[in-house]
Amino acid sequence: MTRLEKIVGEFREADRQGMIELLRDYSEDLPEVPERVLERMDRDSSRVHECETPVFIWVETENGAVRIFADVPGPDFPTVKGLVSILVNAFDGLSPGEIEAAPADFISSMGLVELLGMRRIWGISAVYSRIRDEVKRIRKEP
Amino acid sequence: MADYANPDVLVSTDWVEKHIDDPGVVIVESDEDILLYEIGHIRNSVKFDWQTELQDQLVRDYVSRENFEELLSEKGISNDHTVVFYGDRSNWWACYAFWTFKVLGHEKCLIMNGGRQKWIDEGRELVKDVPKRPRTDYRVSAIDESIRAFRDDVMEHMKSKKPLVDVRSPKEYSGELLHMEAYPQEGALRGGHIPGAVNVPWATAANEDGTFKSADELSEIYEKGQGLGRDDEVVAYCRIGERSSHTWFVLTYLLGFENVRNYDGSWTEWGNMVRAPVER
Repeated sequence: MTRLEKIVGEFREADRQGMIELLRDYSEDLPEVPERVLERMDRDSSRVHECETPVFIWVETENGAVRIFADVPGPDFPTVKGLVSILVNAFDGLSPGEIEAAPADFISSMGLVELLGMRRIWGISAVYSRIRDEVKRIRKEP
Repeated sequence: MADYANPDVLVSTDWVEKHIDDPGVVIVESDEDILLYEIGHIRNSVKFDWQTELQDQLVRDYVSRENFEELLSEKGISNDHTVVFYGDRSNWWACYAFWTFKVLGHEKCLIMNGGRQKWIDEGRELVKDVPKRPRTDYRVSAIDESIRAFRDDVMEHMKSKKPLVDVRSPKEYSGELLHMEAYPQEGALRGGHIPGAVNVPWATAANEDGTFKSADELSEIYEKGQGLGRDDEVVAYCRIGERSSHTWFVLTYLLGFENVRNYDGSWTEWGNMVRAPVER
């Protein structure tokens, strides 16, 4: 079972309150961006502009594995932080091919649309698209 | 300095702290971010989610009378309770919940001035415990749709050249953007505004600390600035009717306008409607 399947399974088994608690746990578990990455992270190009909340995504490769770093500054946006953390947990460290093979619509299969409403899902879909685009870009690099 | 037209509808953070254990009062948190309540809320407050609880999940409409009765009964709110709303983002969502409660006829509704931000900035206590309130038997006595405008009302309103306030950002108003910068899919097929509408972005009415501006400042913005009068029939709209509920609250309760309606269909209805007139 992939990490993504495990996360999707956790959410699908949880009731409404359980899902909120899972999301809160993920939001508390988003790893901090290491100093060495922060230094190179361009604040403008790494920002996901489609998302209203400030979300910064940095993707690079390390020995063939994709590393994903994300920053959601401030205490005011725990839901967004939780959703971003799910993406990082599911995909950080995988190969580019594994990330590309993941279903594009997994967010809706987790039951999050019912929990959060469509509107809150759109922003996170943009973050997921950004990760996929970055992985494509990396694959094309010589 | 002039006072608000209905000063009693606003309560301070101090007032709320003193009424946390008041059996006649229920504090309600309504946020954009669904997790903020879980992370910490005012003791004894209950949570309402505007999107999954206050809206119908099938038809584009507010929660039905039956579902509202069940929702309030389950959360332990009775018809006699004074409900105090607070939330994130300068009480944007608190005003939205307030408006919905008013449409569904709840009588005693208040707003905590400054919302969640002010409460936290003042270092007041937040807890994680969810209160267990005994179930009630809530009954909706009457639906008040006099504060709600539908598209046909707005069409007539526009034709009679009555005042319309578009509370979206200047770029949405001008038609440069089809949606709020962050929400691409909540768009409309046409950009611009309803002919004759003036543009006053909703947050113009809020201070940095999340409180409402003073009565004099608000009068300067809406009356002197836009020529709106307290006896005018005014319709406020935005993209889906949430930001405009904040302006509806300001005009109705703080400035004392007698006849303000919120057009909740807003631009996502108007900008998609065949042959609806659009101005840029």
